[in-house]
Amino acid sequence: MKQQFQELYYKHYKKLFLIPLLIVILALSVLVWNYSTTGDIMAKDVSLKGGTTATIYSDIAFENLEGILEERFGEDFTVRELKEFGSDKYIGTVVEVSNINGDDLKVALEEIIGLTLNEENFSVEFVGGSLGESFYKQMAIALVLAYIFMAIVVFIAFRIPVPSFIVIFAAFGDMLCTLAVMDLFGMKLSTAGIAAILLLIGYSVDTDILLTTKLLRRGEGTLFTRLIESMKTGLTMTATSFVALGIGYLLANSLVLKQMFLIIMIGLVFDVIMTYGMNAGMLIWYLKRRKVEE
Amino acid sequence: MKKFMTWKVWLLVIALILAVIILAPNPWADGIEVVSVDANSDAVGNGLNVGDILISINDYQINDVGDVDTALASLIYSGQEVKVRTSDGFETYDITNDILFEVDENLTISDSVLFEDGSKLLEINGQTINDYDEFNIVYNELVPKRTLKIVTEEESIAYLTREIPKIVVSEEKTSNLVFGLEFTGGTRVLLKPIGEDITDDDITTLIDVLSNRLNVYGLSDIKIRSAEDWDGNRYVLVELAGVTQNEVRDLISQQGKFEAKIGEDVVFSGGNNDIPYVCRNDGTCSGVRSCEDYQDGTICEFEFSITLSPEAAQKQADLTSVLDVVMEDGKGYLELPLDLYLDGELVDSLRISESLKGQATTQIAISGSGSGATQDLAIDNAYEEMKAMQTILITGSLPFDIEIAKMDTVSPVFGKIFFNNMMLIAILAIVAVALIIFIRYRKIKFVLPVMGTMICEIVLVFAFAALINWNIDMAAIAGILAAIGTGVDDQIVIIDEAVHGKKNSRMGERMKRAFFIIFAAFAATVAAMLPLLNAGAGLFRGFALTTIAGVTIGVFLTRPAFASIIEAIDEREEEN
Repeated sequence: MKQQFQELYYKHYKKLFLIPLLIVILALSVLVWNYSTTGDIMAKDVSLKGGTTATIYSDIAFENLEGILEERFGEDFTVRELKEFGSDKYIGTVVEVSNINGDDLKVALEEIIGLTLNEENFSVEFVGGSLGESFYKQMAIALVLAYIFMAIVVFIAFRIPVPSFIVIFAAFGDMLCTLAVMDLFGMKLSTAGIAAILLLIGYSVDTDILLTTKLLRRGEGTLFTRLIESMKTGLTMTATSFVALGIGYLLANSLVLKQMFLIIMIGLVFDVIMTYGMNAGMLIWYLKRRKVEE
Repeated sequence: MKKFMTWKVWLLVIALILAVIILAPNPWADGIEVVSVDANSDAVGNGLNVGDILISINDYQINDVGDVDTALASLIYSGQEVKVRTSDGFETYDITNDILFEVDENLTISDSVLFEDGSKLLEINGQTINDYDEFNIVYNELVPKRTLKIVTEEESIAYLTREIPKIVVSEEKTSNLVFGLEFTGGTRVLLKPIGEDITDDDITTLIDVLSNRLNVYGLSDIKIRSAEDWDGNRYVLVELAGVTQNEVRDLISQQGKFEAKIGEDVVFSGGNNDIPYVCRNDGTCSGVRSCEDYQDGTICEFEFSITLSPEAAQKQADLTSVLDVVMEDGKGYLELPLDLYLDGELVDSLRISESLKGQATTQIAISGSGSGATQDLAIDNAYEEMKAMQTILITGSLPFDIEIAKMDTVSPVFGKIFFNNMMLIAILAIVAVALIIFIRYRKIKFVLPVMGTMICEIVLVFAFAALINWNIDMAAIAGILAAIGTGVDDQIVIIDEAVHGKKNSRMGERMKRAFFIIFAAFAATVAAMLPLLNAGAGLFRGFALTTIAGVTIGVFLTRPAFASIIEAIDEREEEN
């Protein structure tokens, strides 16, 4: 059984790393297409472009709040409900809008929903437009720097260019795919979302480092056994993270945290594909060629 | 045979003991603690101290933060109407906290904005006042002194007073951990000075004026610090815990340039130079004077007196001396009013009586209004507005304009709900991780060390946060969760190397390899977090720091201990 599987793998592993490569190219084209149509690779939420996020804590569902607000202000509003997990009980409503400050929004909301909003049932966050923009710029720089620093660490750790490069490329592909999926689902990027992507670097690179370390050490079983072993370890790692994040995603009553958890979860799915499809495939190809040359 | 208690495990045990000492947990503390109380108040004079744990106020049990206001609410005087006749004239007004004038033994009135100083009190509510004793009887009937009895864990005090103490309370600390705004509720304002070439001095001035304003206003639980971003933009971050009035936000966010003008000429402006004294906390020259229904609610007028410097008074005399007198309702006024501007906006316009023409008056009454749905709310609002105005007059204006770059107001009630939610998620996540470890290895003896390690890491990161005095906010919790997540990943690598690698090489070598993987992943995570330390005006520092602290503590303290416990467990298993 294992023997058969091994033969099958050796026969098809090149296809296995071509599929993730295709996915990365697809993701890249989604981002490029987005850039060419909207001027940015991602839609940004109010934390990155400026605006107000107001949260009303109430178990009442406000019907057509978005429509009423849009008609009143002539601005684009986003209204989302916070529900308690496992029931349809409302715990709050989140209203997001650019170009309107917290005080004006509060007054309008009080009129529309007929509730007095005070410190017991109302939270509001405001980000000025120029600050939002500078957040975006700086977070983008932070992201680029994070990749450069991570790449340096990986090169220092392995000291062999090709496997190091594959690890870095896998992590990079993971991020591109995650961003593309967010785009396709219409998710808007927030500052917390960028922080989640930074965390994803750590989560995605550790399975790659594990795999590469295992495959590069010779003399402990065949290449294939070592691959399976590192897969077992790596998949357990991913499973624990995924389940813990999933619990967080389902139960969190903060939309900011929900988005962070969801982004890392999407990233973990792609991490499995990138690590055991692309990274493993490319690395085995590289090791086999090196063996032939030797 | 390998020992369980290696030096690595002992190191972790010592770190945990230190962590508990640093955190000083006291989970049973549930008292209500006095955080601040006006130093000049009768309450302090009679022995109430900051840090006291309140038990009851006037026999009302204090069980939560809101109880203090409820207990004190019974002491608020209802705004009853009073009619006062003096040799100067007749006035009808609402008493809110005091009778608004003082009399001496000869019934001569002083310190009043309603009546001329030196006039004689004749009648209150139709009752003729013949001497000082009679005044006192009527006064005590109108605004009786009441007993205020405050029982704390430390002492029991009781005294007669007309004053309602402004006591700010919070729940007694259950540990040395300080929670951030998202959990305690409060307001965070990121201010950006407007203008080119903002220097260090400008930022220092801004911080000084702001903290002065907030202190004068009467807030104590404030944090102000400067921040900078990569683009060289400078900011000042102000954090206020607990419930924050709109007026406080205005105090922080406005330049506060106060100017009194006659026509186009500035007579005086805010700050100590022109206004050496502003009357406040004294009902005789500052207070809410009258209320009336307006539209759906009530609008209340406040009034307080200020003293001008001789120079400012002289300037006023010079400017008024050239104005003409106009007659209105049989009274003579100067042709131009005294216009009061705050940040370029007209807030009030005072008619000047003809008797003041060319006079160097040093006393001026400033008025304004507050509104609310009910009279109580309107009175409260008028008081807050008055306090904000007084504060700005006392502390003066900022040398430049500022804008709000970011402002977050978090409800304290829901901060608590958020916190409980995070704790629930953390506990369930730990259980879920344990379950997966059990499914994979089918051995409870691997599960327990994994769970134990996760809990140790939470305790250690919390202790580290308490030690360097930084707040546990939402971002920090996210960072801690992330760090513990990578910790679990590392533990799985350790278990797999210990259990599955055993056919091929010695334990020492396997652990070496496990730690190579762990250190490389650790370095990559830290490298990814480093740029975030200074990005975005330092607002992400908490997240980056906790993540880095968490993974560092993990790699250097808990992982080695975990590995040595797993080695010992594994060896015992082989022998069986």
